[in-house]
Amino acid sequence: MSHTANRDRRIAAVFLIPAIVVLFATTIYPMLYALWLSFRNYDLAKPFIPRIFVGLANYAEVLTSKAFFHALITTFKLMAMTLSAQLVLGVGIALLVSQKLPGMALARTLLLIPMMISPVIVGLVWLFLYFPELGYLNYFLGLVGIGPVPWISSTQWALTAIAIGDIWQWTPFIMMGTAAALQSLSPEPYEAARIDGNSRWDVFRYVTLPQLKPVLVSLLFLRAIDAFKIYDIIFVLTKGGPADATEVISLYIYRQSFTFWRMGVGAAASFVSLIIISVLITLFFKQMQRGQAARAR
Amino acid sequence: MTPSLREKFLTYLLVIIILVVFMTPIYLILVSSLKPSPIMFSRPPRFIFTPTLQNYYDLFTMRPFHLQILNSLLVALGSTAFSLTIGTMAAYAVSRIKHRRINDVAFWILSMRMFPPIAVVVPYYIIFKTMGLLDTPLALIIVYSTFNIPLTVWLMKGFFDEVPEALEEAAQVDGHGVIATFFRVTLPLTAPGLAVSAVFCFIFSWNEFLFALMLTGSKSQTVTVAVMSFWSSDAVQWGRIMAGSFVILIPGVIFVLTCQRWLVKGLTMGSVKG
Amino acid sequence: MSSVTLRKVVKRYGQVEVVHGIDLSVEEGEFVVLLGPSGCGKTTTLRMVAGLEDISAGQLEIAGRVVNDVAPKDRQIAMVFQNYALYPHMTVRQNMEFALKPQKLAANEVSARIAEAARILGLEPLLARKPAQLSGGQRQRVAMARAMVRTPKVFLFDEPLSNLDAKLRTQVRVEIAKLHRRLGTTVLYVTHDQVEAMTLADKIVIMKDGHIEQVGSPEEVFAKPRNLFVATFIGSPAMNLLPAKVAVVNGAPVLVANGFRLAAPPSIVSALDPGASVTLGIRPSDIRVDEAGDYEAVVEVDEYLGTEVLLNLRAGNHELVAQVPAAARPAPDRQSVRIGFDAARLHVFDTQSGEAIR
Repeated sequence: MSHTANRDRRIAAVFLIPAIVVLFATTIYPMLYALWLSFRNYDLAKPFIPRIFVGLANYAEVLTSKAFFHALITTFKLMAMTLSAQLVLGVGIALLVSQKLPGMALARTLLLIPMMISPVIVGLVWLFLYFPELGYLNYFLGLVGIGPVPWISSTQWALTAIAIGDIWQWTPFIMMGTAAALQSLSPEPYEAARIDGNSRWDVFRYVTLPQLKPVLVSLLFLRAIDAFKIYDIIFVLTKGGPADATEVISLYIYRQSFTFWRMGVGAAASFVSLIIISVLITLFFKQMQRGQAARAR
Repeated sequence: MTPSLREKFLTYLLVIIILVVFMTPIYLILVSSLKPSPIMFSRPPRFIFTPTLQNYYDLFTMRPFHLQILNSLLVALGSTAFSLTIGTMAAYAVSRIKHRRINDVAFWILSMRMFPPIAVVVPYYIIFKTMGLLDTPLALIIVYSTFNIPLTVWLMKGFFDEVPEALEEAAQVDGHGVIATFFRVTLPLTAPGLAVSAVFCFIFSWNEFLFALMLTGSKSQTVTVAVMSFWSSDAVQWGRIMAGSFVILIPGVIFVLTCQRWLVKGLTMGSVKG
Repeated sequence: MSSVTLRKVVKRYGQVEVVHGIDLSVEEGEFVVLLGPSGCGKTTTLRMVAGLEDISAGQLEIAGRVVNDVAPKDRQIAMVFQNYALYPHMTVRQNMEFALKPQKLAANEVSARIAEAARILGLEPLLARKPAQLSGGQRQRVAMARAMVRTPKVFLFDEPLSNLDAKLRTQVRVEIAKLHRRLGTTVLYVTHDQVEAMTLADKIVIMKDGHIEQVGSPEEVFAKPRNLFVATFIGSPAMNLLPAKVAVVNGAPVLVANGFRLAAPPSIVSALDPGASVTLGIRPSDIRVDEAGDYEAVVEVDEYLGTEVLLNLRAGNHELVAQVPAAARPAPDRQSVRIGFDAARLHVFDTQSGEAIR
């Protein structure tokens, strides 16, 4: 045994194994448990009924249920709304506050605060703003002649209301990533464009945007992965309602498991969602590795 | 490029509007937490009033909020300590081992952070129930480590990558072993990384809601669940909700104001250079 | 008994072999420089000696003991790294203490050694400073001091001067030479800079593509390069090369190079095959520029360097560089000069193999 390979092996044994063991025990094991559950008829409310093996029945139910597909569509609808708004607003604000003017650094910092607030608190403060009859949002909109909007009490508006809360919290994320990327851009192409007399829009469109693209793709992937998991803010604002207007995947799983106590069905839905998000995660990792390779060059 | 006066004016105007929009909810939390109940929803909204600490007083007398703060602190600090230990070591391994599959291991660890919590809540519930760990801080410490360890691994990997390997080779040639080299040479140089990782772990644990809701009862309830319970109890206690919310958002706000330059790294997992 | 011996040492990374069976012996107290362009395997070789890279095949001895599988710390070596590898969070003194720690010496021995090293290298006023507060040259000296306190059998240097500016490099070079004279410890030193190699080495090992091209004293590798690579790599400005054929005139071989007819160096006359294709090598300093020269050349550009002048000449089809003392500089308006060659100073190489004919 050579001593340098030995060293690698020793580092692996001492340093890496604990994390792998812990993650297996705390993550993979529960996932396998969920997999096992998904083949059973498991009703937590009736603990004495045997947890019989039902084969793929739970999966069959999930994959043929309208509610599940509705939840899936709602999830992606919400994702589309929040991601597009966050992208446009985030990049726009980043361009604005990246200018070298006094006070901009402070503005950039203040704008980061929403991200570090617990999603429950975000939900609660928007609930405070949306609150039927009492909420201040409709009062202020009324001052400019809009509304009142039945934010969380109508099936028509509830998803938008949730999207607004999420956009408020996470637009700063795109802003932050974009601003960081903007700072790392070399000034030379801008100076060249200035000498050549290109318009600002052209400079943005042909110089800035192409250079930002890889960063923006990564940021959007991270947002998409998060958006797929969205739970807290909906739980606070609408609990998936009114009716099923805001029932996203997480809420569907929650309702199957804890309202109907059908753990097997909930687990099957969980597994389907794990597969979907695995695709997103894999795509994101591909993107990240491309980024690493590009940086290494 | 020097903007003209008009452009400057427009820029500042826009930035101020954006700041007002984004800061209003936070401002509302603070103001409402200091408002007496009768004028909570007065029309027009009252921004000038005699502030009262009644809501905060109620928070700690009518409710055991201090105990819930203790629970949250215990869980957050416990998970931070555990995740930092395990995660930092793994990060060092991932950063130093040259095997070509080590990147796959790193990505596998990261993926553990990205799966939806709701998918594993039921198994956790059942497992902890059989182990008798439901409604204990230990349950949450374990669960939070599943996302704090990957976070630490990726953050610290970035810091370890920046420590020149020649430093470790120098120590190795001088006769120091793997462990001594790690503790005496490498780790001291990544102290800022440790601090940042610790704060991130703490805040993510402190802010967490779903697992806390599902896996705790009255005994080890954390602050987020407690505040939510003011809403679902018989009458909506907006004053207390806002007071509790304000307490909860303090650590996050302090973090942003003091170490905002690390946020990019921590939140993008190194996919964006900070 | 030599201090370091490599026998058929090979380094492979997976399928790729980067060092192809090197044989080398470094005598006790000798200063040996591994010299070559980047990617020639010199640093890899040094790192194998240090124990930072595994040896894929072959055998490495240090002080008479086979150390292939011995950990770096047990090889009785000390190494000075390219970027110095000073521990940034430790003071100069702590850097040295930390290097000594594994030897578990008595406290007074440790401070004695540090004091000695600090005195020799002039670091006494800097002991309490951290690396960030030192200049490049000071850091370099600390790195040497840190290696020195361990009293190793062999010093290993990995391009230690490459991060210094030109002036400092000259200074530190002299200090390294002095230090070696003073301590008499065996040194293995890697560089890509031929000036460092020529000035410091007792023995230069010229490497290319994982092979050793030549081993010899600085005088040897300069005066008797074994092949075209060594001939052109050593010496600045580089040796002039002319393609030529061996002809026989009056029973004696003559080297014919497109317009030039040069007598063969007497020492190799017997080794020349008539009709063979050879490459002539002429060092710029070996070209005579005076009225007595046999050939006419045109000065295209002359580069004045103070003590000497480089003449870029065209003679027939040939482009040559000649190095002459500034005093012998042809008048600027003199476009045409006479040049001549000294047969004894010609280098002749087999064109096909690139090997010197001797």
